[in-house]
Amino acid sequence: MSSRMSAFTTVATTILFVGLSGCGYNDLQGLDEDIKAAWSEVVNQYQRRADLIPNLVATVKGYAAHEKDTLEGVVQARAQATGIQVTPETLKDPAAFEKFQQAQAGLSSALGRLIAIAENYPNLKADQNFRDLQSQLEGTENRIAVARKRYIEKVAEYNKSVRFFPTNLTAKYILHMEEKPNFTVADEKAVATPPEVKF
Amino acid sequence: MKFSQTSRGIGFFLVFVFALTTALASWALDVPPLTARVVDLAHVLPAEIAASLTRDLEAHETKTSNQVAVLILPSLEGEPLEEFSHRVATTWKLGQKGTDNGVLLLIALRERKVRIEVGYGLEGTLTDLRAAHIIRQEIVPRFRSGDLPGGIAAGVQGILGTIEGVHIGAETPPVGVHRGDEPSGFEYVIIGVIVGFMAGLLLSHGLQSTRALLGSVLAFLVAQFGSALLGVIAAGVTALLLWLIIQANRSQGRGGGWGEGFMAGPGSGFGGSFGDSGGGGGLSGGGGDFGGGGASGGW
Repeated sequence: MSSRMSAFTTVATTILFVGLSGCGYNDLQGLDEDIKAAWSEVVNQYQRRADLIPNLVATVKGYAAHEKDTLEGVVQARAQATGIQVTPETLKDPAAFEKFQQAQAGLSSALGRLIAIAENYPNLKADQNFRDLQSQLEGTENRIAVARKRYIEKVAEYNKSVRFFPTNLTAKYILHMEEKPNFTVADEKAVATPPEVKF
Repeated sequence: MKFSQTSRGIGFFLVFVFALTTALASWALDVPPLTARVVDLAHVLPAEIAASLTRDLEAHETKTSNQVAVLILPSLEGEPLEEFSHRVATTWKLGQKGTDNGVLLLIALRERKVRIEVGYGLEGTLTDLRAAHIIRQEIVPRFRSGDLPGGIAAGVQGILGTIEGVHIGAETPPVGVHRGDEPSGFEYVIIGVIVGFMAGLLLSHGLQSTRALLGSVLAFLVAQFGSALLGVIAAGVTALLLWLIIQANRSQGRGGGWGEGFMAGPGSGFGGSFGDSGGGGGLSGGGGDFGGGGASGGW
């Protein structure tokens, strides 16, 4: 009798383990953490870009002080981008996420204009300091691209789990997880718009 | 009549578009296999320079565990330099897992572009700035004067000189030994065996064979979170342990039959796939990751 009971316990434990691996509880939790890590990397790289800007602006000012509009545009865009608080809540709220995204896109295009006017100043272009800053900026932009790509992939994976059966049940009723907003192409477009070149 | 002509026109157009899109899809440049530390697909390096570079890279790797590779392409075929370079570096997995100390020097001849892709772990030493300086001061001037091998050699020396003395390979395994996933997988096996073994022992009133079987099933279920193979290994170990304990506890000594039969499967599976993961041949990256650090340039 008791041997039957213990056999039953074992079977129940087995079913519990199989159930746990099948319902995606661990996977969802893991993905949620992955997304947080990927997001930190995105924020980190954007911050790094913001840190480079004061030096860059100062250097450009030395050669092209009268390009006031462009310079101020960068300073303002930077202030706007760094002014947005990035908390884990941002990841849940599509509107806040959108705001963050737009501010960073605004900074990207302001920086694009700044680099474009440098083309008109041969002395600035030849300046060692400017070239160094430009290399660092390029490196950072590239890191941002990689960090964003990884974040996009992770969120896509997570959103799939949140929507697919049967993991959607775990997500909805046990973990209360919802789809997370992702970077969009509209934002990419703003970044990709070539800056105006004035003659 | 007119209608059929138009529809035929549309048909041709669709076929044309289809052919074009499939052609475009196949144009996407594939990541070449990592056959050597210097992969010269454009055939610009004389054999002895390629050999001496390979020797330098190999010596550096044994000394510091940093994995540096060179890829020379005839053309990027329309791929963006940074994207492709990152794809190659992450596909090759240069650098050790955990320390991410890999570097890729990529040269695209037709586009006249060069990039140094730096792994996460070396970003602090081989900074974007240092990488840009190597490109600007060592590589580009030589490329401009037509000395491709000299530029590549100088670039490699610049990279090696910069990252010398970082990550001295005391705690990291030597290259090619491929010990990427084992530590965490090993933990799965241990936990699986403990859980299965305890469960098997605690079910004191079960049938002897049922206890061992269920214990190992449990071990498998725990360890399969690592991988199916690890599950089989954990199950095999648990079955062996439980079988030994049960044998010791029993005076009859019956049940050896199933024990042997059960062990034959997992035992042979273990040996076989262990050989697989160890072998493979050719060069393999250590599992390093890249975050887009480095610098690009043109000549």
